Amino acid sequence: MRRFFSIAAIAIISICGLLSISAYAQETVKVGFIAPLTGFAAADGYSSLESAKLAVDYVNEHGGIKGKKLELVSYDDACQPDQASALTRKLIENDKVTVMISGSYSSPSRAAAVICQQAKVPFTSTYAVHPSIVEAGEYCHRIGMAAPIQGRTGGYFAVRELGAKRIALLIMNNDFGVSLAEALKETAIKLGAQIVYEKKYPLGETEFRNYLNAIKAADPDLIYAPGYYNEAANIVSQAREVGLKCWLMGDEGYDSPKFIELAGAAANGVFITTDLNRDSERPMTQFFLKNYKERTNIDADMVGASAFDAVMLVSHILNKVGTDANKIIEYWDTIENFEDCSTGPILMFQNRSAIRPMDIQIVLNNQFRYFYRYYEPEVIYLNPPSGGK
Amino acid sequence: MLQILVDAIVLGCSYALMAVGLNMVYGLLRIIHVAHAALYTLGAYVGLYCLYHFSSSLWLSLIFGAIFSALIGTLMYRIIYNPVLTAPRYVPLIAGAGVFIASQEIFRLLAGPYPYPFNASFKFLSLTHSHLRITETQMLIITFMIGAFLCLYLVINNTNLGMMWRACTQDMELAASSGINVNLIIAVNFMIGSALAGSAGVLMALYRNSVFPTMGAMVSYKAFVVVVLGGFGSIPGAAIAGILLAVAESLLGMVPLFNLPREAIAFLVMVLVLMFKPKGLFGR
Repeated sequence: MRRFFSIAAIAIISICGLLSISAYAQETVKVGFIAPLTGFAAADGYSSLESAKLAVDYVNEHGGIKGKKLELVSYDDACQPDQASALTRKLIENDKVTVMISGSYSSPSRAAAVICQQAKVPFTSTYAVHPSIVEAGEYCHRIGMAAPIQGRTGGYFAVRELGAKRIALLIMNNDFGVSLAEALKETAIKLGAQIVYEKKYPLGETEFRNYLNAIKAADPDLIYAPGYYNEAANIVSQAREVGLKCWLMGDEGYDSPKFIELAGAAANGVFITTDLNRDSERPMTQFFLKNYKERTNIDADMVGASAFDAVMLVSHILNKVGTDANKIIEYWDTIENFEDCSTGPILMFQNRSAIRPMDIQIVLNNQFRYFYRYYEPEVIYLNPPSGGK
Repeated sequence: MLQILVDAIVLGCSYALMAVGLNMVYGLLRIIHVAHAALYTLGAYVGLYCLYHFSSSLWLSLIFGAIFSALIGTLMYRIIYNPVLTAPRYVPLIAGAGVFIASQEIFRLLAGPYPYPFNASFKFLSLTHSHLRITETQMLIITFMIGAFLCLYLVINNTNLGMMWRACTQDMELAASSGINVNLIIAVNFMIGSALAGSAGVLMALYRNSVFPTMGAMVSYKAFVVVVLGGFGSIPGAAIAGILLAVAESLLGMVPLFNLPREAIAFLVMVLVLMFKPKGLFGR
């Protein structure tokens, strides 16, 4: 008798379990997400995951995906490529996600892209810039600004708008810094400027006075220092300390209120290339800035904006064409003028990378302010039309 | 040129302050105390906490940072290293590395992943000249390092405690059998080394104006290079090697076609020294 009860109990529990799993599976559309929540990149991972969750909440409050809830399944990749590839496999095979989003840096994103391409699961990177991410194949896209475009925009702005003739490069030695610097260098030389100094520094470096003294001796009109805000804050404040009075230009890696907090008054006057325009009156931008601050009690940054946009774009696509992978990537390449995002708008996808107007922002009165915007195809397209200037 | 040297010396002081603690531990226990850099970060966070909650004065931050690091450093010895002292030497090494990695995540959980600015107010000497400029912070770091090393030198050579410490570094068993309280000496040793690491953390947080969970990572292996350069167990060696390394890094970094990052220079120098002088520049 006891045995009968125990068998019955097990049977009932397992049926309930099966029912709840299948009912659950029917109710949600799963999106996989990896971000560095531990290790040196934990701050960016936090921004990107919280922003993605904010977007998921927004989507679910506005009808979800064809009546089903959107569900974010996220893991911590610690910014390590090997963990990123293992977790991507896990998300695809165990969690059965429909789309994969990487809220991580370039090297983990490259690793994840390759796995998604093999498994034929649509993938997008958010703020990772390295060109090779989308080269993994037709399933891999990019929401953020590809390094060639961003570096080129910086080059045009430095030479054409600021009139810089002598440019010094102080480059963070990783995928991010090197790919940006290469693009800027190529553009600047093409436009007639000269590179008077070039040096790489390792991630985590804090002492830049010796580089900056050498730069001072090279007497540049502008210093371009692609990297992240932690190092950038040191570069900028030490540059002013050693008495450099030339233009300073950075990239989207500077785009965090923390940059201004750490660099203090020295941040004023620094230009950056970015895609988050805090002065924009577009409703989605303002929605993101306001709700992110309410949610986390921290001011939003570019990293978060990209992750937010990735979820918004993916849910738009899923609502249009459903969950079939081939239909998703087919539709993805035809998207035009996507407005439901905090950056941009996204004009189109070219070689699976988002194309949007490129913004130059300046730090004024300890705030990022809008300064200049490029629409010209020769600047903002991945493959500029030939015959241009 | 003079300016570059001064900037390098300030950086070298931070290396030296870290390396001396490592060296004291090695000299006494023959273990490589990897978790030492965790105390550097701890000092910075404690200093930051004082700054935000008690007063904007640097001095209080510095004192609290040093005291807290000293306490935790001594605890670390009692809890982590003491039980594994008789085990093979890689055991304390791995234990220390584990503690260091865990500490980064603990700081992140407690204080969040974002860096904090360190805006302490203080008054100190400074120097501004057309060719040379030493900021208040730089002056403070140099003075602190000279003061700390002088005190350490005097204590080691002129006091009873110093004599007992020297006896322990030579032969711990013999020292114990001649009635020296070895446990006390080890505890004091950890306390002094950790207090120096903690105050280095506060000073560098002030210098860089930032405190974040992984700030100890770069420092940890730089300090290790300095220890190897200066010779394991040699305290003046650590001071001189710290400054030499920073100067070498800064000067080599200036050479136009020499396109190696700073950390590569540090390890290159270490390899060269090990090849020609395996005991370090000042090793015994």
